[in-house]
Amino acid sequence: MELAARNTETPDDFDSLVRLHRPRVFRFILASLRDRETAENLTQDCFVKAYQARGQFRGASSIATWFMQIAANLVRDHESSSRLKFWRRSLHPDADVADIGNSIPDRQQSPETWAAIQEQVRAVWAVAAQLPARQRTVFLLRFVEDMDLLEIAEVTGMKEGTVKVHLFRALNSVRARLEAAK
Amino acid sequence: MNTHLSEGEVIMFLIGDVSVEERRHAAECEVCGARVANLAGSIASFRGAVRSWSEQTVEQRWTVIPGADHLGRLLLPASLDVPWYRSLWSGVAEILQPAPPPLDITSRPVLVRTIWGQYRRQKKSWVMSVVLQSAVVLSVFAAAVTPAVQHKIVNAVIPLVAPVDLAPYQQKAGVRGGGGGGDRSTLDASKGRLPKPALKQFTPPMAVVANLNPKLSMDPTIIAPPDLQLQNVNMIQFGDPLGKIGPASNGPGSGGGIGSGKGGGVGVGDGPGFGPGEGGGVSGGVYRAGGGVSAPSLLSKVEPEYSEEARKAKYQGVVLLYIEVDPAGRAQNVRVLHSLGLGLDEKAMEAVKKWKFRPGMKDGRPVTVAATIEVSFRLL
Repeated sequence: MELAARNTETPDDFDSLVRLHRPRVFRFILASLRDRETAENLTQDCFVKAYQARGQFRGASSIATWFMQIAANLVRDHESSSRLKFWRRSLHPDADVADIGNSIPDRQQSPETWAAIQEQVRAVWAVAAQLPARQRTVFLLRFVEDMDLLEIAEVTGMKEGTVKVHLFRALNSVRARLEAAK
Repeated sequence: MNTHLSEGEVIMFLIGDVSVEERRHAAECEVCGARVANLAGSIASFRGAVRSWSEQTVEQRWTVIPGADHLGRLLLPASLDVPWYRSLWSGVAEILQPAPPPLDITSRPVLVRTIWGQYRRQKKSWVMSVVLQSAVVLSVFAAAVTPAVQHKIVNAVIPLVAPVDLAPYQQKAGVRGGGGGGDRSTLDASKGRLPKPALKQFTPPMAVVANLNPKLSMDPTIIAPPDLQLQNVNMIQFGDPLGKIGPASNGPGSGGGIGSGKGGGVGVGDGPGFGPGEGGGVSGGVYRAGGGVSAPSLLSKVEPEYSEEARKAKYQGVVLLYIEVDPAGRAQNVRVLHSLGLGLDEKAMEAVKKWKFRPGMKDGRPVTVAATIEVSFRLL
């Protein structure tokens, strides 16, 4: 049984793997970079890299963790390289600054609640944008992707204690911002 | 535990790193539960917002692109993969000089015949080629058939000239013999075995080996016909078979090898062979008559005596002996090839040792030549 389960996880049937994991990877990159086009490119890069290195996948972690690891590395590389291209942002005004508050799922709430939720989401979104890269990655992985600390540690290459510290700091800033909003 | 959770503990609760008491307290205490729920709720709505946002874009992206513009999809958009310095330069250039308005294209495409394709056989050039080539062949034949050319061919004389002097082309017959060497040692060459005879010498034999660890080790040889049977001694180390038993020495000669001569051989001569003489090969050995070696001839003869037993038995016959006639004309190394017995063999050998020969000659010098001699015993 164990063996059969492992076999379905091997990167042989890559197409179905991509279909399965693409939304998660894309969501993570999009939430990290907030640029739809870049996120799509990096998602593509992530699966290309995974496909090229599929022979090196040892099966030590689950394949979802592996994809996330590649995605986290790509995001980090992209940020360090885009920091050099500071002029690009000014030349290409970001047409894709989406208002996250508009995409709150509508669950038949009263307008007041909806407005309050919108306020909270915008606050968290703003805090997440200002967080340092590591804290933001850890925060997104934990609270958007619902990964445990061990998985996050594997994805980011940090120790579990370090992950916890970053998470604590990120949450602390979120909490402070929310209380200040009140 | 009645104290409320601290702010840090609320966060740790969300992270999932809490003790049992803290969890129980959060479940029981309304204040703390509300604080946890407040933070968790904000984060949960944030998660929902992010998820729905990303799903919108994912849905938008997963549209099927028609298959006609494969090339357009293969090529990356120009904004990607531009090195930073180029994009910086283009940004600066854009600021300084705005791009001109797009060009108004007034020309129209004109239909032309396709230039790449299969061509059928060009009849004209094919005929031309056949005609030209057959004309060339025919003209060659016609020229050969004309009487003038025929006459020239038939009467052509090819003189076969034998070279006047064949000597340089002929292989040197026989072994000339000679070799010697040494490393200017103060001691005489020590006794030892000869190396293998071979047609080429890569390394001379040495009784005292100077290079114990050669990069490329070769068996030492002396230059002599490889099928030559050498008079050799049964020893392990190399040396001069005619030398004295003593401490290993290469001898007082020079040029590698062993002995008192020069060159890479063994012995007193010069060259890579063995023995006196020069130029390789083996000398001091035994020649056979013929091939530049004259046969020894008898000068004086002593009749063999009959042995007592043979005379009593009235025994008669022929003893066949192998002898080597040395340069002094004496028979050496006498051996019986065909025996009669009854003491006649010994009598024959005694007699032959007293015989005197004119030695066999090679190149004007007397050499040792092997011969067989019949000694016949007859009773009168």
